[in-house]
Amino acid sequence: MIKGFSLRVSKAWRSAAKYLQIFKINFQEEFAYKFNFIMWRVRNVFQILLTFFLWDTIFDNPTKVIFGYDRSKILTYVFGIIIVRALVMSARAADIASDIAQGDLSNYLLKPVTYFRYWFTRDVSSKAINLIFAAIEFTLLFIILKPPFYFQSNPLTLIFFLIGLVLAIFIYFFILILVSSLTFWAPELSWGGHFLITVVLIEALSGSLFPINILPTSLQSVIMATPFPYLIYFPVQIYLGNITGQALVGGLMLAAAWCGILWFAMNFFWQKGLKVYEATGR
Amino acid sequence: MDKAIIVDRLVKNFEVNQKEPGLTGAVKSLFSPKKKTVRALRGISFTIQPGELVGFIGPNGAGKTTTLKTLSGLLYPTSGFVEVLEHDPWQRSPEYLKQIALVMGQKNQLWWDLPAIETFELNRAIYEIPTKNYQENLKELVDLLELGKLINTPVRKLSLGQRMRMELTAALLHKPKVLFLDEPTIGLDLVAQQKMRDFIYNYNIKYGATIILTSHNMDDLTDLARRVIVVDSGQLLFDGALEELVGRFAKEKIIKATLGSEDNIGGLNKIGKVKKLSFPEVTIAVPREATAIAASELLQNFSIEDLTIEEVPIEDIIRKVFRGELKK
Repeated sequence: MIKGFSLRVSKAWRSAAKYLQIFKINFQEEFAYKFNFIMWRVRNVFQILLTFFLWDTIFDNPTKVIFGYDRSKILTYVFGIIIVRALVMSARAADIASDIAQGDLSNYLLKPVTYFRYWFTRDVSSKAINLIFAAIEFTLLFIILKPPFYFQSNPLTLIFFLIGLVLAIFIYFFILILVSSLTFWAPELSWGGHFLITVVLIEALSGSLFPINILPTSLQSVIMATPFPYLIYFPVQIYLGNITGQALVGGLMLAAAWCGILWFAMNFFWQKGLKVYEATGR
Repeated sequence: MDKAIIVDRLVKNFEVNQKEPGLTGAVKSLFSPKKKTVRALRGISFTIQPGELVGFIGPNGAGKTTTLKTLSGLLYPTSGFVEVLEHDPWQRSPEYLKQIALVMGQKNQLWWDLPAIETFELNRAIYEIPTKNYQENLKELVDLLELGKLINTPVRKLSLGQRMRMELTAALLHKPKVLFLDEPTIGLDLVAQQKMRDFIYNYNIKYGATIILTSHNMDDLTDLARRVIVVDSGQLLFDGALEELVGRFAKEKIIKATLGSEDNIGGLNKIGKVKKLSFPEVTIAVPREATAIAASELLQNFSIEDLTIEEVPIEDIIRKVFRGELKK
């Protein structure tokens, strides 16, 4: 029995080592082009600066309130979007569509590795890099700009925020793979599908352009039934303390339900897609 | 296990979108896609013993690569039965994938921006190769393929030949028992080709690995393959020893003669196809079944000092295979 247990432990360890190696190689790849990497970070800093000065100008008067947002809350919302976006949407898995179209998927199918876990590991690796650098940049800018930032101090709210964030990361990952699966049937449409879903739908409905609650109530409830606002808007609102009690629990449950539905749909279409996969490229 | 690979009446169809040229064609195909079924494999059957090295040949588009992809679990068979090492390849079980490798001359698994050693380390983890075995295998491959310090150079800075040898190393670190090689020497210079062939030969002997090889390189086949399988238009045309290929498909034999005089030399055309004539040597191709008659006519009507009857060179037959000129 002890032998069986140690066998299971060593098996689990080898499997963990596998994904740790993927994590490491992705980390190195990100740093392969150093200049490129620096430019990416510079762009991030500029984005933060621009956003800050834009909203700081609009809310020049500290007592001004638009759509229930004052200067401090809108700035926190906008910076919240930047952070949550960086965490949720920095996903390498967007490359899956071209993997399928160009036949590079074959490389992974030939190996004893789970393709989804492979990409999720790479995503987590990219997110980790992004988070580390974003934290440094943010701290520096915070010291320089001294914005009126709203700090959430309730530990329970912060835990819910983290749960919302994890759900958001999974929802985005599943949506990406689901959209990429289209490539199995229409290799030439992959980019178009990606554009429609990620750029149009997600940008507009996730709350990254504007807070969802400035829309008419009826439209709001329709949007809140889709998975998109749970990517950005919902976690940020939890952090701001704008969603509490029943609405909070209900929202988290809906996000979890979407997670389940998307996971199921992703596996269903992926298995169907593999059967028509042509392993092209040669 | 008495058979390493079993393929029985394997059929694979592809649905292909037809598209007219240009932008209008692209728009049209978007709204009313025209599908066409391509029958890549039309019922192929063969078996391969453990440790065999088999050449898989045929013209472009014959179905060679499709077969290899099906055997390695990438493609889902339309119908028919496939079994490799007692596994159904399509299930892609980790136990199965750890025993095989598919190397395609123009597909790469190496991480482009990083040194090859990083990909090797990744494969060590993915294939769960114990560190000791990994070190041994890597050293052996690096020595055999003469890679040395190149494994620390970013892949994008390597030449094609160096990269191909790295690809092979990455694919063999886990010591696969079954190896599918698709055009392993394509694009390599002559020296690199020879190195690759030597390596494949030794790998087959040393580890008793089962190898299927497709190639358009004559030397790959004559040096390596003892048995060949010929496919064309998704059908199997021949399966047997390389030498038997000649007897099966050569419709002619070659008579080489040394003439004693130039008398009547124009009459040689009536015996058969004169391939080469530079007095006193003459080479004539004659129909297989009429070889004996042709030889005796030669001896009766011409002054012959020496005469031999030979088979058509194997290269000529293989060239015909590549051109798709062999029929059942």
